[in-house]
Amino acid sequence: MYKYDHIDQTLVDQRVIQFRDQVERRLNGTLAEEEFRPLRLQNGLYHQRHAYMLRVAIPYGLLNAKQLRTLALIADKYDRGYGHFTTRQNIQFNWVELEQTPDILAELAKVEMHAIQTSGNCIRNITSDAFAGVAADEYIDPRPICELLRQWSTLHPEFAHLPRKFKFAINGAKEDRTVLLCHDVGIELKKNPNTNNGELTADIYAGGGMGRTPILGSLIKSHVPWQILPSFLTALLRVYNRFGRRDNLYKARIKILVKALGPEEFARQVEGEWNQLHNDIKQSKDNFTQAEWERVAKHFTKPNYRALTALSNEQLQSHADSKLNSSEKIGFTRWLERNVKPHQVPGYASAILSLKPHGSAAPGDATSTQMNAIADLADQYSFGELRVTHEQNLVLADVEQAELLNLWRAAKNYNLVLPNIGLLTDIIACPGGDFCSLANAKSLPIAKAIQERFDDLDYLHDLGDITLNISGCINSCGHHHVGNIGVLGVDKDGEEWYQITLGGDQGNDASIGKVIGPSFYANEIPDVMSSLINTYVEQRTADEPFIDTYRRLGVAPFKEAAYRNNGKHSKESSKGAIA
Amino acid sequence: MNKQIISFPKDGKPSLIPNEWQVWDGEHDEGGIPDLEHGMHKVLGPFHWWITRYKNPDIIHRANQGEIGVWFSADDDILKHADIIEAGKSLWPVVGAHFPIFRDGRSFSTAALLRDRFAWQGEIRAIGDVLIDQLLQGARVGFDAFELRADQNLDVALKQFDLFSVVTQNSWRDQRATIAAS
Repeated sequence: MYKYDHIDQTLVDQRVIQFRDQVERRLNGTLAEEEFRPLRLQNGLYHQRHAYMLRVAIPYGLLNAKQLRTLALIADKYDRGYGHFTTRQNIQFNWVELEQTPDILAELAKVEMHAIQTSGNCIRNITSDAFAGVAADEYIDPRPICELLRQWSTLHPEFAHLPRKFKFAINGAKEDRTVLLCHDVGIELKKNPNTNNGELTADIYAGGGMGRTPILGSLIKSHVPWQILPSFLTALLRVYNRFGRRDNLYKARIKILVKALGPEEFARQVEGEWNQLHNDIKQSKDNFTQAEWERVAKHFTKPNYRALTALSNEQLQSHADSKLNSSEKIGFTRWLERNVKPHQVPGYASAILSLKPHGSAAPGDATSTQMNAIADLADQYSFGELRVTHEQNLVLADVEQAELLNLWRAAKNYNLVLPNIGLLTDIIACPGGDFCSLANAKSLPIAKAIQERFDDLDYLHDLGDITLNISGCINSCGHHHVGNIGVLGVDKDGEEWYQITLGGDQGNDASIGKVIGPSFYANEIPDVMSSLINTYVEQRTADEPFIDTYRRLGVAPFKEAAYRNNGKHSKESSKGAIA
Repeated sequence: MNKQIISFPKDGKPSLIPNEWQVWDGEHDEGGIPDLEHGMHKVLGPFHWWITRYKNPDIIHRANQGEIGVWFSADDDILKHADIIEAGKSLWPVVGAHFPIFRDGRSFSTAALLRDRFAWQGEIRAIGDVLIDQLLQGARVGFDAFELRADQNLDVALKQFDLFSVVTQNSWRDQRATIAAS
């Protein structure tokens, strides 16, 4: 894992001093709220419905145990004893005081953390594959590039006030686990003997995003040598900074510019700017150097793995059988099947700790007790490191297979082993109207109601892979557009309604879901889900996942089932029914 | 307008100096340059005004006297008028770039282009809604003078430039600290 040198440390320490001064000027009235707002946002500090919320950066989702313990400490000392892991691999605290935020940042700086650019109209925290460096299907470890670009983007002066927020994702595996095409810029790393002398290159996708105009990104440049990324991205962002719309908040994202110009014309303008940068900046002094690569990449070498023999799940189960009672056996078997992922190194696996307990906590929430326990588990079983996933779960990436049973037992004590990864109840949800001042509707009670309705693990396992994503407003923080089933909270005449989309998908066949029809009341949603799921069960062929059935049949049978009982609930009885 | 501006030459220290330039919007004084007989006699006119007047002998005469510079609005596509800017380089002592509101960062790119693309060596002055917390970014992309909004505390402003001793990307002013460390 990357370790700060004195430059990184100096920068975050000085950033604390800068923000402390900005907060002081706000508190003594010399800095107006309107002018403080973009400053605090660039430091992850939102003003939410009830309180300030602080979003802490977890670059490309990678954390160590010490850092997690500090997050637990912050939760206890400055918040209400929990934190919320987000789809962009960060963590947010929902109940902080403005006056205390500089102290929180100082705590973070002690463990090489910060909240720089986790919000605001600037380059946001860069996300990547939660399984980077260990995934069996990885062809390049993306983390050195993630780290180099983290440094390049940190407090970048030219792009401090872009038209809107700007999100990067970087992938280096066969399977895309980053929702690459739903980012302002998606960087797909490649290593091919036929291009750039077999050196690392990047394919650049631009103009993807969710929000009210969901668009998948377009390929605008292939085979960019990794050394040239700073000047290429400068050119790209410069075009966006100069010509992105600023007249309308909703049309200010780069996707609107790329769409308006057309991807070819946008690519041409970037190319023109890039060529100039090459010519103007003597010998391209912006390029990353080999020495920089080595300085950063040395932190991403493999941990001290032991030479082990790979075990099959059957072997693991049979070893465990004598140590477990019958109900435990089922739980452990399911956990191996759903929550344990293959690893590059024989005898090792990655284990996902589910932060989606059925109905008892908001998706992505972890208490300080859980955080401290997970830090201990990371120390004991996974070289003291862990990762945050886009689906709002946590991963211990380097667990010896022979230790999986011990890990499972220990994590079970903290309610972290629900075997629902990738299943219907592994719901992505934004904080919604319970916290967020932008939300039109609540998300969390909907997630809870669905988890309670589908609480039967046998049934969930039989249903197999289905993604269900819930957003409380059109900003799509819950990524409903790319859920196989998406739920979007909408406001109609001051009432909370929910619109259903179907057919969204993340991964290599990423697609944007389509709205099936008029929206529903909150208390209709569990029945609607049952109708959609029943339709799938009736219509599927053997082993056919939900998304394939949907793609084969189209929306019609699902739509018909969803609206069959529409109107059953009266307007009055539904108000606040799930709150 | 401010009587003082912050001057921060590339290889110097930030300090307060008297403001010699009046920013003119091009709209008043019936289309002509304002009469600056009294007080300041140097004027920064809008680039769109320059585009239509740069062949006017009187304007050129005054420019040759060092009395006229131009300022670019955030909307100006300076690359479209590269020839006029190249010609202007030998005439203008100072150019400005305007911030219509502090959170509009287009002029950061304008300044970067003026330095990188046009190799502009003279002063680039930030004008308009220039607040204390933009100074650091401005100084790094290519601005070396700042006329702050009138309500800003200049003493607090001057302290901004000392906040960071390291940077992690190249800019007009500095090379990224991380190169030296490698």
